[in-house]
Amino acid sequence: MTSFRADPPEPDDETLRRVVAELRRPVPLGPGIDQRALAAIRAGRDQTASRPRRWWLGAAAAMAALAASLLLVVRHANPPAATGREREVVLRLVAPASSAVVVVGDFNDWSPVATPLQPTASGEWTVRLDLRPGRYRYTFLVDGREWKSDPAEPPAPDNDYGPPTSVLTVT
Amino acid sequence: MRLRPAFLAACLLLVGRGILSAQDRRITERLDPVTADAVQHLVDSARTAGLPAEPLVQKALEGSTLGAGGDRIRAAVSVLFAQLSRARAALGTSASDAEVTAAAGALRAGVPADTLQHLRALRSGRSLVVPISVLADLVAEGTPLDRAYQSVFDLARDGRPDDDFLALRRREVRQAVGAPDPADAQAPKPAPDPPAKP
Amino acid sequence: MARYRSALGRYALHMLGNREDAEEALQDGFVRAYWALATCRDPQRFGAWLFRIVVNRCRTVRRRRRPDDRAAVLPDDLPTRGGDVSEALGWREEISRALARLRPHYREAFLLRYVEGMDYDEISRLTGAKEPAIRMRVKRAGDQLRELLRDVISS
Repeated sequence: MTSFRADPPEPDDETLRRVVAELRRPVPLGPGIDQRALAAIRAGRDQTASRPRRWWLGAAAAMAALAASLLLVVRHANPPAATGREREVVLRLVAPASSAVVVVGDFNDWSPVATPLQPTASGEWTVRLDLRPGRYRYTFLVDGREWKSDPAEPPAPDNDYGPPTSVLTVT
Repeated sequence: MRLRPAFLAACLLLVGRGILSAQDRRITERLDPVTADAVQHLVDSARTAGLPAEPLVQKALEGSTLGAGGDRIRAAVSVLFAQLSRARAALGTSASDAEVTAAAGALRAGVPADTLQHLRALRSGRSLVVPISVLADLVAEGTPLDRAYQSVFDLARDGRPDDDFLALRRREVRQAVGAPDPADAQAPKPAPDPPAKP
Repeated sequence: MARYRSALGRYALHMLGNREDAEEALQDGFVRAYWALATCRDPQRFGAWLFRIVVNRCRTVRRRRRPDDRAAVLPDDLPTRGGDVSEALGWREEISRALARLRPHYREAFLLRYVEGMDYDEISRLTGAKEPAIRMRVKRAGDQLRELLRDVISS
């Protein structure tokens, strides 16, 4: 189980080593966290400490199943259709009026938080990815509300869910 | 007491499934239990059948992020499973997971299986991922089928590198949208005609 | 990024001691992180940046608790071997109980140092406390945990 660091320090004491070994074990949390978080993002709300503890129940009930995930489990996340050395790829989206742009796709388990784009002065948002050769489907999420395909790449032929997606082939 | 064969078979199936189905936590944490179970079953079946399983996981995660309901996710993953099976049948057991995945996308775009087999024969010994991907993209974007096939076949027959296939796709896309190809803008301008002699 | 998500959930659960609070802190942290993404200028420090958000959310959730929701906090002049050590509880539960009895700052420092493997200077940047204070908190947390669990280990 990975910690924040690949080689976390070990206590000198045997008892504490046993304690730490136990504490490092994975602790799966509820499946609804990401869904509720994205519900809040789409609602445009910022969570504050003053909110009642169960505010998110209402948000989740109001939201269609637009789930998002930050994770997870690197040992299960084999790169899709990938062999060979990584190559740098730059994704771009022009969105000068936006405040947040992320990309979701096969390369990050479709997580809406894992891969944010950075804004430039020209109103273009960019992100650099290191991808192994292969074929990747992806799309952009703008301001937590709007899905946008990449105008620089072909539309994905296997669009099963409605929002537009693009496909990137890395050689 | 002798155990009945059916009971033994059921036990073996359960044990086998338990061994095979190391549950992917991404599935269990992001999908509802019914959908997660269905997707995990397809993932396990894919592994058993020698098919790439990761595309199935990604298809499910995509649906989760893009707001699809469980029914739709299950349907999409089932369809992809079938396409991966057909792709494997078309390309053979020696094809890589990446090639099978690309071929499944091509079948989805409407490329016939025998076209993929023909492409494999033309490009024997070299990776099919990019040629198949480009073929799928061209067909999906509406390039006339015979032109798409011929263009890709020609490059494959000539042993062209992957970048040439990608360049073909860029050209076709630009033609489709009426945009000039940047490569043309960089081409050297012809020298001006010499002035007419007086 | 994938490796951080699991670590964040683990930290929140051990810090707050119950699943509901941990899920709230994590969820709240994700939402805040999303809207603050543009402020994270250094991709190399994305993990630490995200951790700081979740650490702060955990502090907020913890402070909001009713007094009787908190486990009894140990004074600085430990050790004590008193209290009930139920043989029916598993090792993990004993550790959770012991953790809950630490001062929050000690628990926080111990988890960040030994469970999440952060450097002292990183913990200092993340929590705002000076490095010598962090080292002291980690040591005291370790001392107290050792004492609290001595009976469990020896039994």
